[in-house]
Amino acid sequence: MTNAVLTTGASTLPSTGKRRRPHEEVASWLLVAPAASLILLLLIAPLAAVLGLSFTDYQLGARAWSYVGGANYAALANDPVFWRSVGNTATYAAIVVLGSTGLGLGVALMLGRSSFLTQVWRTVFFLPVMGSLIAMAIVWEFMLHPTFGLINAALGLFGVAPVNWLQNGDTALGVLAVIGIWQQFGFNMVLFLAGLSAIPQSLHDAAEMDGAALAWDRFQLVTWPLLAPVTLFVVVISTIRSFQVFDTVHALTKGGPNKATEVLLYTMYAEGFEFFRTGYAAAIAVVFVMAMLLLTLAKVFIAEKRIHSQ
Amino acid sequence: MLAKHSCRALALALAFTLPAAAQPVTEIVVQYPYGDVFKETHNRLVEEFAKTHPGIKVSFRAPYKDYEDATQRILREAVTGTTPDITFQGLNRVRALADKQVAAPLDDFIKAETDFEAQGFHKAMRDAGSIGGKVYGLPFAVSLPIAYFNLDLVKAAGGDPAALPTSWDGVISLAAKIQGLRPGVHGIAAEWPISGNWLFQALVFENGGNMMDAGETKVAFDDEAGRKAIGTLARLVTETKTPNISGNDMRTAFAAGQVGVLLTTTAYVNAFTRQIGDRFTMKTSLFPGLTQGLSRLPAGGNVMMITAASAEKRKAAWEVVKYWTGPRGGAAMVETTGYMAPNAKAADHLADFYKRNPNQYTALAQLPYLTNWYAFPGDNGLKITDVIKDHLQSVMDGKRTAQANEVLTEMARDTQALLPAGK
Repeated sequence: MTNAVLTTGASTLPSTGKRRRPHEEVASWLLVAPAASLILLLLIAPLAAVLGLSFTDYQLGARAWSYVGGANYAALANDPVFWRSVGNTATYAAIVVLGSTGLGLGVALMLGRSSFLTQVWRTVFFLPVMGSLIAMAIVWEFMLHPTFGLINAALGLFGVAPVNWLQNGDTALGVLAVIGIWQQFGFNMVLFLAGLSAIPQSLHDAAEMDGAALAWDRFQLVTWPLLAPVTLFVVVISTIRSFQVFDTVHALTKGGPNKATEVLLYTMYAEGFEFFRTGYAAAIAVVFVMAMLLLTLAKVFIAEKRIHSQ
Repeated sequence: MLAKHSCRALALALAFTLPAAAQPVTEIVVQYPYGDVFKETHNRLVEEFAKTHPGIKVSFRAPYKDYEDATQRILREAVTGTTPDITFQGLNRVRALADKQVAAPLDDFIKAETDFEAQGFHKAMRDAGSIGGKVYGLPFAVSLPIAYFNLDLVKAAGGDPAALPTSWDGVISLAAKIQGLRPGVHGIAAEWPISGNWLFQALVFENGGNMMDAGETKVAFDDEAGRKAIGTLARLVTETKTPNISGNDMRTAFAAGQVGVLLTTTAYVNAFTRQIGDRFTMKTSLFPGLTQGLSRLPAGGNVMMITAASAEKRKAAWEVVKYWTGPRGGAAMVETTGYMAPNAKAADHLADFYKRNPNQYTALAQLPYLTNWYAFPGDNGLKITDVIKDHLQSVMDGKRTAQANEVLTEMARDTQALLPAGK
């Protein structure tokens, strides 16, 4: 959230245009030095190390390694597991972003009018965001258990045959996405609630007076356009968070069955820490960071464009 | 001033205390996995060991979570030079540590022993932790694949609990009958996903096959023995409708009384005994299809490896390894866990224990079949395990059960592609 504020804030700052005196320049360098060195130490240096590793055949614990050029990237391009992983991550992100944004908005609209019950519901919906996902994944595992799980038992009441949700390649990724939506929509709901509270009631009243009698008309005319910046932010944040899915995969499916739920971060983990192919895992990490960077740049670009057009 | 005085006091104190500890004490730092399973064992052994070996002090680091954690940590510590003196590792991780020269070979120590064989350290036990003809570790706790029967279901299906089948044909036909008893009951479940390919290795080995040829250059599991192995798995799917569920779910279902026969590691005997209580009668039996003189079974469990750097520490560490994997250590381990002791003399201390716990005895009866849990050579050794698991999955979930032999050919091809090219 702070990120968006910072980037929009920085672009609208008027430049002073004055030339600074030398000692002021030194002072300014001194002032940015702590932050700059921290960034260098905690972000740039590890990234550079990962980038360097991705050009080697280093294995965890190995005494020596050699430079292999782009061999890891060439192997990645021809690795069906990697492409499966990319595809799965994209599918997962698409479902979760749509689902959690839609559900978040829907619930926020329904909770719009504040009353005591609203407060209760808001807390209830926000709970999954605050809980530890690994602990809740285990609860989900019990609910989805093929023989004594709650979900199959409930479906059985309607005569539906039991499904082995997590072991079936056709359902596993979908189930994980549903858990992802369940976990994320509360966060989006809070963002939308904040966005909604910033829309003055007078605009709705004016629209109603002008003939927008139906709630849907007022939503289309007033709420939705004014929520656009919040929506954009929600979509981008949800996308980034969905790309980072790992806990549920690790706890529930380990990427299986047969790579049906293999996602990027899990592939990276498995290659680096289960198969000890550290160089290869570093190459996946580089690809992942690039994808995240592109997403962030896209967000900044779109956000700036909106501000300038206003 | 004050500092000087206290220094002198310290020196004095040291001068008085030093002669008391006549022998210099060597500290040996040990790290092992599964604290909840092995803590009692190790604490008991430390006490016993201290009585007979006053010159060596054994201390522990916080236990590894599991075998994966154990290997990750020891490899990281090898980089920074902070390994413990002795590490317990999964039996299939010996190769990774030997290849990366993290663990010291034990052959010189073994040669220096006079009556090693007589102390129960038989050849199969030494083979279980050896790579390329050198011994890198001695197994401490060993598990083998065995069969668990739910006798209530066996009886209900018309089987004889006193004469449980030991051939695949017998087990499969009994399982097929149990399968039909009532909805929700499974005839047989084989925990094939356990550690990637452990059970597949068991099936290949019991038919006299190998995972790789003798020179370790070419995949060998695509021969007749391999076809029998994957064929057996396919038969479970076609003839008994074995459920396509995770190993964890198989075990919960068995403990809940919904599985007739479960094939998995001996390590769960104690856990099952506790969970089942008197809800039904469980009996362990030999892994199906064993042929004397031909079959072997891969040893699961963990192995002790010496990672100390100095010769002096290594010598002390060897004493620790010898005690832990010897008759006394083995007996203490069996009494406190569900595993079995690889040491042939450990059973001398356990006659009563096995009489009281006949279900534990099955594994011991399989001891002559013990061989090492094969680890593939090269940098992709662990990745290969994953490739094999994925191929087996396609047979076990029914997608390619009918083409089991084609799956085997592809599995061999994919494995070969990941093996070191130059070798």
